[in-house]
Amino acid sequence: MYKRNRSPGDVIFDTANVLLLVLLAVITLYPFLNTLVVSLNDANDSIQGGLYLWPRAFSWDNYHYVFKEATIFHATLISILRTVIGTVVTVFCSAMVAYTISRPEFVLRKFVTIMFVLTMYLNGGLIPNYLLIRDLHMIGSFWVYVVPGIIGVFNMIVIRSFIEGLPEGIIESARMDGAGDFRTFMRIVLPLSLPALATVALFTGVFQWNSWFDVFLYNSQDVNLSTLQYELMKLLANSNSNSSMTSADAFANSANASANFVTPTSIRATMTIVASLPMIIVYPFLQKYFVKGMTLGGVKG
Amino acid sequence: MSGYQVSAGVLNCKCLQKRLTNYLERGTKHLDQKKLGTLALIVATAASLAACSGGNGNNGSGSSASSSESAGSGSPSASASASETASSSPAADKTPVTFTYFNANSQVPDIDSNKTEIGKALEDQTGVNFKMQFPVGDVNTKIGTMIASGDYPDVLAPDTAIDKILDAKAFIPLEDLIDQYGPNIKRVYEPYYNLMKQADGHIYFLPFSPVVGDYIPNPTIDQGAFFIQRRVLKEFNYPKIKTLDEYFDLIKKYNDAHKDDKLTGFTSLTYDWRTMGIFNPPMHLAGYPNDGDVIVDMQTHAADVYSNDDVTKRWLKKLNEVNNEGLYDQSSFVNNYDQYLAKISSGKVLGFFDYGWQADQAIQNIKKSGNDDLDYMPLPIVFDQNTKDQYLDPPSFVDNRGVGITTSAKDPVRIIQFFDNMLKEENQVMIQWGFKGETYEVNDKGRYYRTPEEIEMLKDNAKQQSIGFTYFNYSWPMYGGGSTLSDGNSFNAGRQPEVAQASFTEGDKLILSKYGVQTFSELFAKPDDRPWYPAWSISIEQGSPAEIFQQKSKDVKLKYFPKLVLAKPDQFDAIWNEYLDAFNKLDVKGFEDTLTKSIADKIAKVTGGSSGN
Amino acid sequence: MRSDASVQGTVPHTAAVRSSGARLFFKRLFKQKSLICMSVPFVIWIFVFKYVPLWGWMIAFQHYRPNMGMFDQEWVGWSQFRFLFEDDSFLRVIRNTFAMAVIKLVLGFVTAITLAVLLNELRIAMFKRTVQTISYLPHFISWVVAANIISTSLSIDGGIVNQVLMWLHLIDKPIMWLGVGHYFWGILGISEVWKDVGWNTIVYLAAMTMIDPSQYEAAEIDGAGRFQRILRVTLPGLRPVIVILLIMNLGSILETGFEPQYLMGNGMNADFSENLEIFVLKYGISMGNFSLATAAGIFKTVISFILLFSANHIAKRVGDERLF
Repeated sequence: MYKRNRSPGDVIFDTANVLLLVLLAVITLYPFLNTLVVSLNDANDSIQGGLYLWPRAFSWDNYHYVFKEATIFHATLISILRTVIGTVVTVFCSAMVAYTISRPEFVLRKFVTIMFVLTMYLNGGLIPNYLLIRDLHMIGSFWVYVVPGIIGVFNMIVIRSFIEGLPEGIIESARMDGAGDFRTFMRIVLPLSLPALATVALFTGVFQWNSWFDVFLYNSQDVNLSTLQYELMKLLANSNSNSSMTSADAFANSANASANFVTPTSIRATMTIVASLPMIIVYPFLQKYFVKGMTLGGVKG
Repeated sequence: MSGYQVSAGVLNCKCLQKRLTNYLERGTKHLDQKKLGTLALIVATAASLAACSGGNGNNGSGSSASSSESAGSGSPSASASASETASSSPAADKTPVTFTYFNANSQVPDIDSNKTEIGKALEDQTGVNFKMQFPVGDVNTKIGTMIASGDYPDVLAPDTAIDKILDAKAFIPLEDLIDQYGPNIKRVYEPYYNLMKQADGHIYFLPFSPVVGDYIPNPTIDQGAFFIQRRVLKEFNYPKIKTLDEYFDLIKKYNDAHKDDKLTGFTSLTYDWRTMGIFNPPMHLAGYPNDGDVIVDMQTHAADVYSNDDVTKRWLKKLNEVNNEGLYDQSSFVNNYDQYLAKISSGKVLGFFDYGWQADQAIQNIKKSGNDDLDYMPLPIVFDQNTKDQYLDPPSFVDNRGVGITTSAKDPVRIIQFFDNMLKEENQVMIQWGFKGETYEVNDKGRYYRTPEEIEMLKDNAKQQSIGFTYFNYSWPMYGGGSTLSDGNSFNAGRQPEVAQASFTEGDKLILSKYGVQTFSELFAKPDDRPWYPAWSISIEQGSPAEIFQQKSKDVKLKYFPKLVLAKPDQFDAIWNEYLDAFNKLDVKGFEDTLTKSIADKIAKVTGGSSGN
Repeated sequence: MRSDASVQGTVPHTAAVRSSGARLFFKRLFKQKSLICMSVPFVIWIFVFKYVPLWGWMIAFQHYRPNMGMFDQEWVGWSQFRFLFEDDSFLRVIRNTFAMAVIKLVLGFVTAITLAVLLNELRIAMFKRTVQTISYLPHFISWVVAANIISTSLSIDGGIVNQVLMWLHLIDKPIMWLGVGHYFWGILGISEVWKDVGWNTIVYLAAMTMIDPSQYEAAEIDGAGRFQRILRVTLPGLRPVIVILLIMNLGSILETGFEPQYLMGNGMNADFSENLEIFVLKYGISMGNFSLATAAGIFKTVISFILLFSANHIAKRVGDERLF
C-alpha cells in the first residue's frame, strides 16, 4: 500500500473532481426526484405543472390506484421469477459460450462467433417471430420469457473480452492439471469473471424486469403469467381512458371531477417509481463487485 | 383510445407507434372520444330492477307476436315501448356460457362481464357471460398477430383495424343470423343496411351509431369551439361576439386593460397528432363542421382541401397579426400536451381554439378551483357576420367501426341472441341510465332524471366500472348517440336536459342566462343535414397515395405554420407563397378526388337506403 | 463427405493432402468435444430463434397482407426500397440519422469513459458509490417522462435553462430551444448523455477491476502523476472493452431510436429531428405497411454489416482486438 503526500496538483484535481461529480449527481438526481414528487402529488393538481422538488398537494392516491388490484402482487411475483430465472440462465449460458469463443484453439471459434454476432443486426420482424413462438407452443407459457433470450449476444461479447483479459496462464495451468473445459469454466473462469458477470447480470436483470412487450404479444390471455410492468402498462392505458372517456360528457355534465381522478402523467410517474425501486434496492449488491475492484485498482484511500 | 396512451414502460415505449397511428386517425378520435364520453358519463338512472325482471319474464314467455310486430315496424323511429320490444326466438337457450370479446375501442381493466351489475342482469336474461379484454400495446400489432395466426376471440371490435379484419375474412356474415334470431337488431339497424353492406353484399359487423328516434344534440360543447375566458366577457358585460375579429379585439382590449397580469392572449396545441387546434379552425371559421382535411361543398358534394385555400391564409394571417401584437403564445409550437394543459389550467390564457374533449382536463381543473372568472365559454366564431356557424356535429352514421362475430366463435347463435336481447329498449335504458332508484329516477311525467347525489356518485370511475357503464355503454350493438327512447326520454343520460341542467355549476347557469340560453349548444347553429358526414371517417386504404398525402401534408403544414404565424407581418406573403409551392407539390387533386368519390358513394347508399324504407 | 469425394477424385495427390487436413480437423474437433457441447447447442438455438424468422424478409418484396400465406402474396420487387430511397426527405432523414448517431457515439463514449475514470480517482468509497448510484438513476426514467422534464426545462416560460443563462447574462431573452432546428442534435446528444451516462459507465468500471493493481504501483514508482497513471494504466486497461464496444456500436449506428426524437420533435425542428426510424414509423408501421418497415430493416442491416466488417478489419490491423 502506497502512502503519498498529496501534491498541490492533486488537491486541485481532487477538489475539482468532487465538485464536478456533485454537480453531476444533482443533475442526474433531479429527474428521479421530480418523478417521485409528481407521483406523490394529487393528479388533478399536477395538470397545472410547475412541480419541481416538493409536492404541492400531497396525496397517496396515485399509489392507491396502482395497488388497488390484487393482480399486481401476483404479477410482481412473476416479474421476480422471470428476472431471477431469466438472468441466471442468460448469464450462465452467455458466459459458457463466451468461454468457448475465447479459446484460441477452438476450431469452430470463428464460425460460432460470427453466427452470434450477426444476429445483433438481424431481425426477421414481428410476425415471423410470433409465428415461431406459436409453432414452438410457447404461447401462454412462462418459458417464453426465458428461452428466446438465453444468450444475450452483446453480453456474451462483453464477457468474452473479460475472459480474454484474465491473466495469461491461469486457464492454461488449470488445463495442465487435467481439468476439462467445462470444469475450467466452472472452477476458474466463472469465479474470476465476477465483475463482468455482475455487469451482465445487471443488464439482463433490468431488461427482464422492464419487459412487457413479450407479455403483450404472447401471454396477454393469461393473467397468471402477467408481469408487473405489463400490469403497470395496463393501468397507464386505463388512466388514459379514464381521463378521456369521461372527458366529453364530463364537460357536458361537469361530472368528471371524480374522486379517483388519475392522469397518464401521474400514473406514469408512479409506475416509474414502483418499477424502478426494486432495481435501485438491488443495485448496491451488484455494485460492490465493481466498486470493490475499483478501490483495488485506483487510488488507495 | 390510444393517443394518450403511450409509452410508459420504464424502458420500453412501443406505444409511441400508437400515437402516431392515432394521428392518422385523428378524426376518428373525435368521434370515438365523443361517443365514449357521451355514453360514459351518462351514467344514470336506469331501468329499474323491476323493469329488468319484467324484461326477463318477457323473454322467458317469448311472445313471438311482439317479435314479429316490432320487426315489421322496422324503422328507426319505431316507437316500440319496452313491453312491445321484440324478444328473440322462443326457445332461447339459457345454459351458462362464456365467450371472449376483445374490444380495441377502449382501454379499461379486463373483466368478466357478469362481474358488473349490468352484465349480471344481462347474464340472468341470457346465460351469456363475456370475458372482456382490452388492448394495452399497439392495436395494429395485436390484430396483426391475430390475423397471422388465425386465432380470434369470439367477438371482436377491432376499432381502426377493421379493414384488416374484413380483408382477412375474419368476421362471419350476419344477415341470416339476424333474420332468424335478431328481430331487435333488425328494428334498429335495418334503415342502415345499405351503409352496412360490404362490397360482397354481406353485413359483417354492427356499427355503434344507428340513431333511433329523433336526434338530440349534446347540450354541452365537447367538439370544436373558440373558447374565451369568462372574465373577459364579464368585464365587457357579456357582449355577443360572432366574428374572429371581434373575438380577438375583445381579448386585446382585456389584455390592454390588464397589462400587469402577464396574460396570454391565445394559445394553440400543435403537438404530435394533436394538431387540430391549428389545422382545423379555417374550416370552422368558414362555416363548416369537422370534415377533417376537407370542406365539402353543400351543392356539388365535392371535397376541397382547405389548407392551401384563402380561408387558411386568412386564419394564419390573423394569428400572425395577433402574434405581432404580443398576444399569441409563441411556445404553442413547441409545447407538448402536458404543457398545453398546464398553461390553460394556470388560468392566464384568455382564449384558445380546441375540441372540448381535448381541453377538458384543463377546464375541469379550473372548475375545481371554483373561480368562475377563470372558466371558459365556448363560442361559435366565424369569419364573417353573415356566415352561419356549423360547429355542431350533424347526426352521423360511422360505417367503418363496429363489433362483429369472428370465424373462431364457438356459438354465433347465442352471441347474436345476446346482441338482440341487448337491443331491447329496456336493456338499452339499462346500459345508459342504469337502475331506477339507484342511478336514475323517473318523475311523475315519465321524465328520467338524476339527483345531485346520483350525479356525484357517478363521478367515481370505480362506481361506473362496478355498475358496468364503462363496459356496456359503447362497443356493443346499440342505439346511436343522440337517439330518443320511445317514451321521449333521451337515450343518453348526458343529453337529457334534466341531467345536463343538474350538473351545471352556478357560474355556468349565470353565463347561460346572460346569453339567454338554457344550454351551451343553444348558442350554436343547428347542424344542416349532411348525409356523408363525417368525411374524416371515410376509410382511406392503408399505405394508399391518399394516406401518404395526409401524412405529407401534415408535415408540410407543421413546418410552415409556425413560420407563418411568427413571421414579421411584411414577410407573411412571401412565406405563404413558399408554403403553397411546397404544399401544391403534393397530390392534392388525387386526394380530393378520392374523397369526393367516397362521399358520393356514401350519399348514394344513404339516399338509396331511405328510399328503400 | 467432401473429403471422401476427393479421395476418389482424379487428383490423388491433393486429395490426400486435403483428406489429411480434414482428418486433422475432425480429430481436433473430437478432442474439443466439451467446447463443442458447450457452444453448438446454442448455435442451434440461435439458428432457430434468429435466423429462421428471417424468412420474414420476403415481405420487403411483397405487398404484404397478413391474412394470406407468405407465398400467396403479391410480389412487388424493389418498389418498397424505391419508395424509401426516392422520397424527397430520404437524404435529409439519412443525414439526421448519421449526425445523431455520430454525436451519440462520440459523446456517449467520451462521457462514459471520463466519468468512469473520474469515479475511479475518487478517494472516499462512500461518495464514489453514492455518485455512481445516483448517476445511473435516470436510466430508469422512460423517455416520455424524461422528454417532458427536458421540454419544461427548455421552455421559454420560466424554463430553468433560460433562467440560468439569463442570470449569467449569456443571453438577454429566453431562447425557444426546441423551436430552432440547429439546436436539436445538440439537445438530443446532451439529453442522451444525461440519461445514460451512469448506466454506460458500469461496464468500464467493471473493466477497471480487471486491471492489475501492481501496474499502478509500478507507474507510481516511475514517478507518474495522476494524469500519467490515467493515460498509462487506466485507459490502456480499458482498451479491449472500449474497442469491442465501439465496433458493436458502430454496427448498430443506424439504431438511433425514435422516442426522444419523436417526443421532442415538432414542426419547427422537424428538418433536424426526423430520423430513419421516425420515417419508417410514419410511412410503414402506422400505415400498416409491414413491407416498408421490413425493407428499411434490411437496408439498416446492410449498412450495419458494412460498418461492422470494416470496423473489425481496421481494429485487427491496428491492434489485437477484434470482434470476430
